[in-house]
Amino acid sequence: MSPVAGFANPWGALALATLGVLLWLHRRDRRRGVVTVSSLFLWRRVPAAPLERRRRLRIDPLLVARLAAMLALVATFVRPWVAGTAARVEAPAHVVVLDLSASMRTRERDGTRFDAARARAAALADAGGDTMLLVAGVRPRVALRWSADPMLVRRALETLEPLDLAAGLDAAVALALGEAGARPGTAVVVLTDEPPTASALGADELARVDWVQLGRSDDNAGIAALTVGAQALSELADTSATIEVRNWAHIPRTVRLDVRVGDRPWAERTLELPARGAATVRLDHPPAAGTLVARLDGGDAFAADDVARAWVPTRAPLDVLVVSDAPGALVELVRAVRGARVTTSTVAAYGGGGAAAGRVVVFDGVVPVAEPSTPALYVAPPPGSPRCGTSARVRDAAVIDWDDGHPLLRGLGSLASLVVAGASALADVPWGTAVAHAAADTRAFPFLLAGELDGRRTACLAAGPSSPIASTDQMSLVVLTLATLGWLQEGATAGATAPLVVRTGEVVPAPRGDADDASVRVAGEPPVLTVERVGAFHVGGRLVLASLLDPRESDVGRDGPNEWPASVAVGGAAGPRDAREIAGPLAALAAVLLALEWAVWLGRRA
Amino acid sequence: MTWMAAEAVARAAHVCRRLTLTARHGVGDRVGDRRVPGRPQPSGMEVEAFRPYAPGDDVRHVDWNAAARTGGLVTRRFTAERAVRFDVLLDASASMDAPADDGKLDAVRELATALAWMGLAAGDAVALHALGRASGPVCRHRASAARAADWLATLGVAGELDLGPALATHARRHPGPAVSFVVSDLMAEPAGIEAGVHALRRARHAVALLHVLGPSDLDPMRHLTAGVLQDVETGATHSIALTPATCARHAALLAEHANALAGMAARAGTAYVRIATDESLATVLVERLASAGIVRRR
Repeated sequence: MSPVAGFANPWGALALATLGVLLWLHRRDRRRGVVTVSSLFLWRRVPAAPLERRRRLRIDPLLVARLAAMLALVATFVRPWVAGTAARVEAPAHVVVLDLSASMRTRERDGTRFDAARARAAALADAGGDTMLLVAGVRPRVALRWSADPMLVRRALETLEPLDLAAGLDAAVALALGEAGARPGTAVVVLTDEPPTASALGADELARVDWVQLGRSDDNAGIAALTVGAQALSELADTSATIEVRNWAHIPRTVRLDVRVGDRPWAERTLELPARGAATVRLDHPPAAGTLVARLDGGDAFAADDVARAWVPTRAPLDVLVVSDAPGALVELVRAVRGARVTTSTVAAYGGGGAAAGRVVVFDGVVPVAEPSTPALYVAPPPGSPRCGTSARVRDAAVIDWDDGHPLLRGLGSLASLVVAGASALADVPWGTAVAHAAADTRAFPFLLAGELDGRRTACLAAGPSSPIASTDQMSLVVLTLATLGWLQEGATAGATAPLVVRTGEVVPAPRGDADDASVRVAGEPPVLTVERVGAFHVGGRLVLASLLDPRESDVGRDGPNEWPASVAVGGAAGPRDAREIAGPLAALAAVLLALEWAVWLGRRA
Repeated sequence: MTWMAAEAVARAAHVCRRLTLTARHGVGDRVGDRRVPGRPQPSGMEVEAFRPYAPGDDVRHVDWNAAARTGGLVTRRFTAERAVRFDVLLDASASMDAPADDGKLDAVRELATALAWMGLAAGDAVALHALGRASGPVCRHRASAARAADWLATLGVAGELDLGPALATHARRHPGPAVSFVVSDLMAEPAGIEAGVHALRRARHAVALLHVLGPSDLDPMRHLTAGVLQDVETGATHSIALTPATCARHAALLAEHANALAGMAARAGTAYVRIATDESLATVLVERLASAGIVRRR
């Protein structure tokens, strides 16, 4: 038989000791309290009388008010509850945490793992008691507030589906423990395919959770990695794709890989995969530029990693207009690029803005009279150049630092050996960032600036190649110059319209605009996006290609269904299902008593 | 002048605008503005009496009409005009500010300012003294009221005071004639106080005892909360069970002490006034001091 009343926080009764402290203070004040008076001239004639015990404990309204207020506060602290009319029905409340990670889509004998979790949650709701549904996706979310209606719980469960990403289960469990802590006697049930050992939660938290692991099958082969190799200034034919296909099962299997670019087939392979082994496929000479879709036809239990998407970029020949009064090594360098088209102009002849679309304008040691309307590279801009903030020419400069993460330097390796005899000391500019820094004898300065100016890519390079490419000892500078030109060329052709290739669950900067699918969540300023399902989507008109490529989710094999019941009750002693805390009224009573005590004290002062 | 002193003077000037101090005794020979009846003199502003002419009298003051009616020479006598020195003797012992809530020190400052203002407004001299310490300022003009108020505002209380000997010392250092107001809580044996009053009287001081009592003196049950009382001057303690009976006993003792002081004052020919600090200044002046003959309307 369940109790009709109790305390949710019985340890709070220790606060009753404060009543003793209050009494002791009161007695001490009466016994030791000294009041300064103007004179004892008359008081001395009143016989001295040590305070009698009875008088020390004389009922003082102020003391009574204080004791009552403290008692009410302590009563609030122990959080008493009383059972309602339905108290005799034994049915604990549940907070059910559902794992929405991709691996919950894995098919077992009788449906997916999420189907099993859904059935388990529905059974808990059918058993009676209030139920709250929490789902673990990119972040935890309450799918259903407290409800005692099993049908409502079932309907909420029907609306839930796993996502194609790795879920943050720990955060959801922590949230569930918090919700359960506010409702004594509530059980937290975690329905997932992960064992508790995979959780980063502490042992004390796991001890308060009924952990239910679902699933056993390891039948999965999937695409573990997909990369497209497209070097700057290369042609489409030079682009390659590398696909890693992995078998996560403990038995060998054969899969068929089909790769397409757009609607044109690229390759078909039949792969023999050993148990928990992998095969790597490298593909060259893509049939076209566009969306690359790699698809496995394995018929395994987990489908989310059977398809992956990437982007084969469009390649156009390098088209450069070099504006210089003394064209030299730089022109020769650009001409050495295969397929490059180079034209030259003097500063006087350059009219600005008239460059053809897709052309990169290079100002070699000169300041243009008019700004170009296409991507531009300012090489060794002379002092006074407003665009690059050049302050002076310096001698013997060496590159000392660079931003590895900048797309311009991607795959370029170290710039540590880059030393030039002369360079223009650039300054930080508002339109771009310093990609590389250099130092001379007396100063450090940006060596390479890159950014977007009025929507077109722009770069400033402190020094350019000074000797013929065939005999140069500045290969780092040559490579850096070509990489910069490649980055500018990319901006002149594909630029901002290139698709975003992301992994599900990954947070990346997003273009402005709305998504065409609820699976793509765009938020924040500047906006970022997270894709919850694999596929191709559009955000603000820009293509977003999302793939799983997450071995944690693809490795679906488990030891089998297992359960770890909670060993510690959540939120202290359990009360009846409809236990109603009466701490609120007690807190109000305490407030009233405190006000009364204050009034008594004020009255005594007055 | 500090802001507090200015405020005190303004308040005193407002309350005392129709009041003045009386001086039946303690009037000396120094010529002043105060008219003192009963001391006719050969010259003055107001005719008070007549007497037969005697050689040496100023012939300008012979009343010829009276001479025609009576057949003998009669000279006019005039009301004496004297300057009076009012000494305000303040008890500045620590007992005047304990308990702090009693407000005795503030009440004393206010009362002393009012007394000084009334004296100065009548053209008399006012001397302020903190008993047992160095003398305060002597003021002789209405404009000096601010100086007196300044001194009172900065007057601090400290230490013990044996009132009787202090009064005797003052009498020795500042002989009269003068009118002395003793402002104190008078918590001392009446016999000791009487000795000091007699010393003042011998030094030609007219004396008024102004007995200042605070709420804790008048109603200890309400204003004292604990049972151990400590004398602010001596530090001595006395345990008391603050019961209604105890407080009634204290009230009886206080009444007995006040009666003893009043009896002593009557014997010494001095005025005795009991003042409670929670009474307004107007009440103290118009009811207490006026009924004791210390203050009158002008």
